[in-house]
Amino acid sequence: MQVFAGLSQERIVFGLALLLCILFAVALPGFLTADNILNLVRSVSILGILGVAMGLVVIGRGIDLSLVSLMAVSVAWTLSLIGRDMPLAEALAIGLVFSLFIGAVNGWLVGYVEVPAIFATLAMGTLVYGFGRYFLFDLDVVYMPDSALQILWLGQGKLFGIPVPIFVFAVVCLVGYLFLRYARSGRYLRAIGDNLLAARVAGVPARPIIVLQYVLSSLIGYIAGIVTAGSVASMNTRLAISTYVYDVILVVVLGGIGLSGGKGNIRNVIVGTLLIGVLLNGMTIMDIQYTVQNVIKGIILLTAIMIDTILNPRDEQTAQQGDI
Amino acid sequence: MTPIVDIRKATKEYRGVAAVKDVSFTLHRGEVHALLGENGAGKSTLTKMIAGVVQPTTGEIWINGARAEFRSPSEALKRGIAMVYQETSLVPSLTVAQNIYLTDNKRFHRLRGIYIAGQQFLQSLNFPVDPTAMVSSLGAGQKQMVEIARAVHHNAQVIIFDEPTATLTPEEKHQFFSLVKRLKQRGVSIIFISHALEEALAIADRITVMRDGEHVVTEVTAAFDREKIVRAMVGRTLTGELYGSNKDRSVRPAGEKVLSVQNLSMGNMVRNTSFSVFAAQITCIFGLIGSGRTEAAKVVAGVLKRDLFHGGQIRLNGRPVRYRVPRSAVRDGIIYVTEDRKIEGFFETMSIAENIYLAAMAGGQAKSAIVSMREMRAMANEWVARLNVKTINADARVIELSGGNQQKVVVAKALVQKPKLIIFDEPTRGVDVGAIAEIHQLINHLADQGIAVMVISSYLPEVLQLSDRILVCRQGRIVEEFEGHKADEETIMYAAVH
Repeated sequence: MQVFAGLSQERIVFGLALLLCILFAVALPGFLTADNILNLVRSVSILGILGVAMGLVVIGRGIDLSLVSLMAVSVAWTLSLIGRDMPLAEALAIGLVFSLFIGAVNGWLVGYVEVPAIFATLAMGTLVYGFGRYFLFDLDVVYMPDSALQILWLGQGKLFGIPVPIFVFAVVCLVGYLFLRYARSGRYLRAIGDNLLAARVAGVPARPIIVLQYVLSSLIGYIAGIVTAGSVASMNTRLAISTYVYDVILVVVLGGIGLSGGKGNIRNVIVGTLLIGVLLNGMTIMDIQYTVQNVIKGIILLTAIMIDTILNPRDEQTAQQGDI
Repeated sequence: MTPIVDIRKATKEYRGVAAVKDVSFTLHRGEVHALLGENGAGKSTLTKMIAGVVQPTTGEIWINGARAEFRSPSEALKRGIAMVYQETSLVPSLTVAQNIYLTDNKRFHRLRGIYIAGQQFLQSLNFPVDPTAMVSSLGAGQKQMVEIARAVHHNAQVIIFDEPTATLTPEEKHQFFSLVKRLKQRGVSIIFISHALEEALAIADRITVMRDGEHVVTEVTAAFDREKIVRAMVGRTLTGELYGSNKDRSVRPAGEKVLSVQNLSMGNMVRNTSFSVFAAQITCIFGLIGSGRTEAAKVVAGVLKRDLFHGGQIRLNGRPVRYRVPRSAVRDGIIYVTEDRKIEGFFETMSIAENIYLAAMAGGQAKSAIVSMREMRAMANEWVARLNVKTINADARVIELSGGNQQKVVVAKALVQKPKLIIFDEPTRGVDVGAIAEIHQLINHLADQGIAVMVISSYLPEVLQLSDRILVCRQGRIVEEFEGHKADEETIMYAAVH
């Protein structure tokens, strides 16, 4: 085992992603085509942006199950407002403010009312979807009106021959990285994820940081939503009740951000995104049934966690306060 | 006579690092054997080998003259070896009797049956515990009795106690000692790990001292005194004798009144208490566990939530304050150093440097507006050197340090916030002898600098050694005040218990 001691979950997952890439490229005729690579990059980017949002929350020992619902509903509302002849900027602003407001409510529920994050955000996700579906738009799928073609560029455009979503993903990653490393609130976020009580005693403004955490995730979620809308020229709000949010959690956990908080970084999101993105794409090309895909995803998650536990055991002895 | 436990040249390595090196150890039948040593000396590991929790890397364990290779604690239990841990391993939501009979090889128990059996059994041990009581409703001493009863029920021939008295009140300690005597009369052999040297001297037949994973000395208790044990434990005589006499000591005069608490109440832990803390002085608060001293300090520092706050007034430098969160107290210079560093002291996924810098930022003492790696490093190196934290470098994770060094990091986190009033809650709990002296020196130094220092402690020698003023807390209020150099253990204890 000593030889493998340098392996972390992150490296294993990165290796697996590469291996899978090569495997698919050789074995699947449709994989290496220009069309598919474009498609892959786009879907991977969106998954990755959402992964960053979820990753930030999970590092702060929370979880945001309303991420995808909120994204779908706020962007769908934006699109339908544009469809009713509202200027683009105004509609975007309204969607964004709605998204941030719901994020703040999530944070308030978790930080101030002290509802466990998993319940607060689960309920909020359902509430937001129902509210949006009933009050804000009439159909499940809201199409992009012609007056909003600028958004299309975000989803389908190219910059220096590279799809724009990749740039958006890169920028979100970079900002997330800088936030975690250099911003005081980023450090505080990691501190409350590691040990909320200790952070409180040290004078970290714990509750405001929890609110910030959910506001950030809804902000990044909104960006992901706009890119999604741009890439398919519509927003399918059924996404809110799909298992997509669990794919996002899979990305985060698989990449090596511990659900117990405090651990992990943006790098882990990138690595997790790569593996899941490649895997989902390959399975779709192979025409594997959706349910079977879920089985495979589940097995992969369990395997990754198992390997990590074997290679980096949480040794009670060494973890004890030096009393060996 | 063959010893009941005989360890021959046992070594235990964790990832190539020896926690126990080539140690031989014998335990005779019906003997009380105290195992002493600093944190990290290897006491716990040695006893865990006997109890089958860990397996020796090399060496042999002989039980009752037969070679034993335990792969699990339950195998050791079958051979009559039971371990009672610091944190109890009872199921809180079951009753006492259910816990005692929990691991019996019987699929179903009639509740009435085990209550009757439990009642008789506990009576035969002379334990005043109700077998139908929920374990969660018991005090620490009673929980320990249940653990011991369970061990005896399993016909334990050897019972290993890991720091049994750490969480007990003096009364409960007294009961524990008479219990140990009774067990001894029943022919049970006892291994007793402790930091409290007086206790070892009082109840042990033989004493073994370990240091850095090695066996130092084993002798009958009569051959030891305090000083000899301490010398064996640390391998040196401590400068200035750790807990020396306080007779020829002078006390610092009181400076300006920094904190004044009037008629503070909170729940039923703090009852209408009043006290003051002055600058340039060490004020010790002595009280037994449950006397409300920690709670009072936590209300002052804003750590306890406001909705439990029933009334009273707190003044900082004459100005009334009422903190809802620790942050505002920290910003005013009131820093609370926790008694439980694992739960609210440090961040275990972070390095020493990150821990200290985070406290500096949260306390408004970091100069740079964004996180500056250079400032973080400089700050960490400064504090590691100032507090003599033993580590390879400031990038080591705090969780990897020994108890004493972890405590130093927690203290560094407090000092970096530039306290005006610093509250140390049990500053030397779980800290080895060498680091205790250093931490005491540091506390003295803080008072000399003019900072108001408050020390909460339930260890009398520490109180007598450190304090300029001693406040005694009992049942939620400060009941008596002594001058540091005039008090003695008996008077303080008398005030605390009556």
